[in-house]
Amino acid sequence: MTEKMVFVDTSLCTGCRACSVACKAWNDLEAEKTQLITSYQSQAATTPHTWTYISMHEKYENGKMQWLMFKHQCYHCADAACMKACPSKAIYKTESGYTLIDHDKCIGCGYCTANCPWSVPKVDETVNKSFKCTGCIDRIENGLKPACVSTCQPGALHFGDRDEMEQLAQNRLYEVKKEYPKAQLYGDAIMGGTTYLYLLLDRPEIYGVPSNASIPLSLTLWKDLVHPLGGIAIGGAAIAVVGGVFANFALGNYRNRGKEVAESQDKKGGQ
Amino acid sequence: MKGKLFRFTAGTRIFHWIHAVCFILLGLTGAALVYSWLQPIANIFGGIQISRDIHRWAAAIFTISIFVFFLLGASGRELRSWAKSSFKFTKDDFAHAKNFPIEFFGGHKPFPPQGKFNGGEKLNSMLMITGLLCIAISGYIMWFASSMPQWLVQWAYVAHSGFALLIMAVFLAHFYLGVLHPDSNQALGGMFNGYVPEKFAYEHYEKWYNQVKVENKNT
Repeated sequence: MTEKMVFVDTSLCTGCRACSVACKAWNDLEAEKTQLITSYQSQAATTPHTWTYISMHEKYENGKMQWLMFKHQCYHCADAACMKACPSKAIYKTESGYTLIDHDKCIGCGYCTANCPWSVPKVDETVNKSFKCTGCIDRIENGLKPACVSTCQPGALHFGDRDEMEQLAQNRLYEVKKEYPKAQLYGDAIMGGTTYLYLLLDRPEIYGVPSNASIPLSLTLWKDLVHPLGGIAIGGAAIAVVGGVFANFALGNYRNRGKEVAESQDKKGGQ
Repeated sequence: MKGKLFRFTAGTRIFHWIHAVCFILLGLTGAALVYSWLQPIANIFGGIQISRDIHRWAAAIFTISIFVFFLLGASGRELRSWAKSSFKFTKDDFAHAKNFPIEFFGGHKPFPPQGKFNGGEKLNSMLMITGLLCIAISGYIMWFASSMPQWLVQWAYVAHSGFALLIMAVFLAHFYLGVLHPDSNQALGGMFNGYVPEKFAYEHYEKWYNQVKVENKNT
């Protein structure tokens, strides 16, 4: 399968949250009690049962309010930090560009949550498995659009081949920039390129997402330096121990010690 | 006891063995959790989720035991002075540690008279104490990750793995010297009945030996 992409044109998003509902319906995710977070936003973050939600950001300029909408879900990064962090090798990439969790292998440690720049995957504590957006892999591999894309009424979501979507995003950026000079794309320059590409009307920080998302330095140190060095330390110690036993054996230290004890007992007997 | 010197109080010995059991349980379950190729180890305990529970129980028991044994009674005094003296690394300690590799592989090279704990043991203690503290702190950060800042959790993983691997290497050397090494394993009795052979004490801790001899004469 060719590389796919979802283009999220936030300039057209009305914040209706139909994507959230469609996601739950298709993926059979139970409803959760929600509350107002800010503005009309009803979800603060992804949960094991909510894989996509809209955050709403009220921007005031010249006495006028403007809503900035942001659809959150797994970005399906090319360089996925969750995959590098997973100690169970449960996270893998598909040819189409999606990042998936194998629940037979997942042990629910939550290392993916802690290392994802957006903390997207979430562990369901009742089953000890991590859950997140699958990109509707079951739909797209059967020729359908993802549930969120197919339901989007204002046409803010587009699905297709990666290069096509990138082109579409560039065209839209050119259009939108005329009215919103700060408009920019988000996702193409981070994490090796994400599968969900955004058109934003302002800086990513205004939407509460990091503009310079990257694989955490700690993760690289942990997996690529600490683990190999630790392995060398333990291997070295093990070799030293085996070498020590052999050296003592060869030097006759085990036999001689027996003699010493016997000698001292003889002395005791003589006293 | 004739020909033997009293070295460790009962509390210290119990603490040592609680630590030893917890250490091995934590090491095995931890390795199974963090390395996919070591996951079969988890089957010894009945699966990965049970291993995780054991990892946390052992961690909690060990942490509590530190407070109990370091604060109470005679063992508390003994353990506190052990921890304190471990970080006072003198010239004599260095002289001992420098020649220790020869001792490790069965040879012998003279070293200056040592106190209750020799230079090599102090190194072991320093690494263990520092490592365990860092592992405990990072471990509790990981345990309660959802209420911690994300960057802190990320760095806790590094510290937890790093120090765990380091002190496992230290543990291998400690096990070898305490159990397998034909000369130094005479100290093992000290961790069972509290006594070590007098001759051994004189050879390995001359300063301590003389000190105990004087104290025993005075009482």
